[in-house]
Amino acid sequence: MAAETKLFGKLKTSEQEHEDPKEQLMFDPRPREELNRMVMEMMTTTTRKFWLWAIGLGAGVVVLLFGAWGYMISTGMWVTGLRRPIYWGVFIVTFVFWIGISHAGTFVSAILRVFKSEFRRPFTRAAELMTTFGLAAGALYPLIHLGRVWVFYFMVPYPNARWLWPNFRSPLVWDLLAITTYLLSSTIYLYLPLVPDLAMARDRTTGIRHTAYKILALGWRGTEAEWFRLKKAIQIFAFAIIPVMFSVHTIVSWDFAVSQVAGWHSTIFGPYFIIGAILSGVSAVVTILYVLRSSLKHMDYFLRPEHFDALGKLILVFSMSWAYFFFNDYLLGWYGGEAAVRQILTVHATGPAAWVWYTMLICNIVIPWLTLWNRKIRRTPWLMFIITLLINVGMYMERYTIIPLTLGHQRTPFDWGVYTPQPIEISIVLGTFCLFTFLYLIMSRLIPLVPVWEVQEGQVAHSLRKVGKAEVPSVTELD
Amino acid sequence: MYTKVVHMALFKEEQLDHAAESITRLRSLGISDKDISVISGIPFSEKILDRPMNWTNVGRIGLAGAILGFITALLLNFGTPFLYPLRVADMPIFFPIPTSIVVAFELIMLGLLISTFIGVFVETISPSYGPQGYHPKVSDGHIAILFSGPMDLDQQFHSTFAELGATLEHDVEEEKLWL
Repeated sequence: MAAETKLFGKLKTSEQEHEDPKEQLMFDPRPREELNRMVMEMMTTTTRKFWLWAIGLGAGVVVLLFGAWGYMISTGMWVTGLRRPIYWGVFIVTFVFWIGISHAGTFVSAILRVFKSEFRRPFTRAAELMTTFGLAAGALYPLIHLGRVWVFYFMVPYPNARWLWPNFRSPLVWDLLAITTYLLSSTIYLYLPLVPDLAMARDRTTGIRHTAYKILALGWRGTEAEWFRLKKAIQIFAFAIIPVMFSVHTIVSWDFAVSQVAGWHSTIFGPYFIIGAILSGVSAVVTILYVLRSSLKHMDYFLRPEHFDALGKLILVFSMSWAYFFFNDYLLGWYGGEAAVRQILTVHATGPAAWVWYTMLICNIVIPWLTLWNRKIRRTPWLMFIITLLINVGMYMERYTIIPLTLGHQRTPFDWGVYTPQPIEISIVLGTFCLFTFLYLIMSRLIPLVPVWEVQEGQVAHSLRKVGKAEVPSVTELD
Repeated sequence: MYTKVVHMALFKEEQLDHAAESITRLRSLGISDKDISVISGIPFSEKILDRPMNWTNVGRIGLAGAILGFITALLLNFGTPFLYPLRVADMPIFFPIPTSIVVAFELIMLGLLISTFIGVFVETISPSYGPQGYHPKVSDGHIAILFSGPMDLDQQFHSTFAELGATLEHDVEEEKLWL
């Protein structure tokens, strides 16, 4: 009898753990009119706090980014901490960081769209927007790092006065091509699914907003031909943008790996960088979703614990994959027997900046592995916010380890050095964080951040089907 | 000789079955598929509404862009070394394989994606055939069946759509939705 009670007790607990389908966005439909109203209210509600943030961040962009950059241009690169033998510092670290962040939009939107993962629906646009602004912030760094920014046009593929073309065998030119391709295509990929929602906004606004939405909506009515065309184009983009995404971070990794620098010359750098980028990007999506959920009106209807849960599982998988690639890179470097590489690995773990290396391991492996296996933690948005923020701290440390900490201990010990980022560099880095947040903040009031038509499409496709005595969630393909 | 008038039947979002049924009934009243157009707030496949297959040139335009990107990559990879040979390490100057693959890949993808967008843009702003019209309720989830038919069938249209629970509007010529 006691055993029976125990058994029933267990069953009850397991039943309680089952989520009521109504808690899921797809099974909690609301009329489209109401969804539209909620999204329009999100866009048009601005509080005093919003304006304070906008002004503060705008000032940050002007002073910290453009002010500091202008000062650096006028005085020269000596104001930075870049000295022999370390010529790549936080500018390149932050460049890799932003390019990595930008992978999430494509990952969350394109890959999940290709695999028809339904949980993606309410936040694809938020992720795509992150890609566009992450890339915009990242693309500034090659210009900043160049020092003499006015000679940037040397990279543009046209012959200069001596009929000298850029060197198309250089990864730096590949970088320009890859980032340009990715920036343009991810911006279009953000725009295309936005068109029906812009038409919705056009129908509900007046004045200058109405005019802007009218132009951007391209006369959208929602005819069969328009939907067919849009679906076709989104399909082409979703498939084609995935290899572009892979190419971008692979090329970024080749900026390092094609050199003979000890610790960089690795054949595994391409996939290692990609996994790191996706880990960092998906984590950043969660961080941003939490901020959106807690700051935008009605966002808690669209973004629910189920979304944090699903993304948490993805992060755990990518954290494990990252650990696998990291260990591969580490072990072969250590095993290979090249003295310089072993020396670098030892310095990373025991040198004066070892805290960077340990922070990386703690944030990228220990924290996600200890927490994200737990469903309750994954479904607690504020905890997910902290965890994902820490993962991105870890990923920044990873890039810091790979770049200045590796460059400082190369093959000739008399040429070892230590790099200390100077205030001007820190200011520029903070400035791009302000730029990203500022652009995101402004855009959150200009475009519908939730793809309403995709959410409604999902809600129409989902239903509860009776199987035996249970009601089972099911999805119908409307295509 | 009779004049055709554009009518719009508006169905609520939960009346999808009725909207599909109304198309069948319009056909039985002698309205051909080219005189019917459906506008909706979310995409429905042709099969759901029993409509003829749509077509688009977006894929072909995308392919043309990819080919253009490939040709550009060939010119940049293999043409520019002839204009000004650059020796880099021990790499071949005139036939830089495999490095040219990277440039070719990026430009093919750039061509494909940009021209796909251009294809969407051009097709969207091009004049479309079939009955024109719009109602803001469509973006609120309503399904609108637009059709042009003779005025002498007006009574039958009204009774058909009233039976299916739709509201019928006349002369819903398209207002200017774009530039």
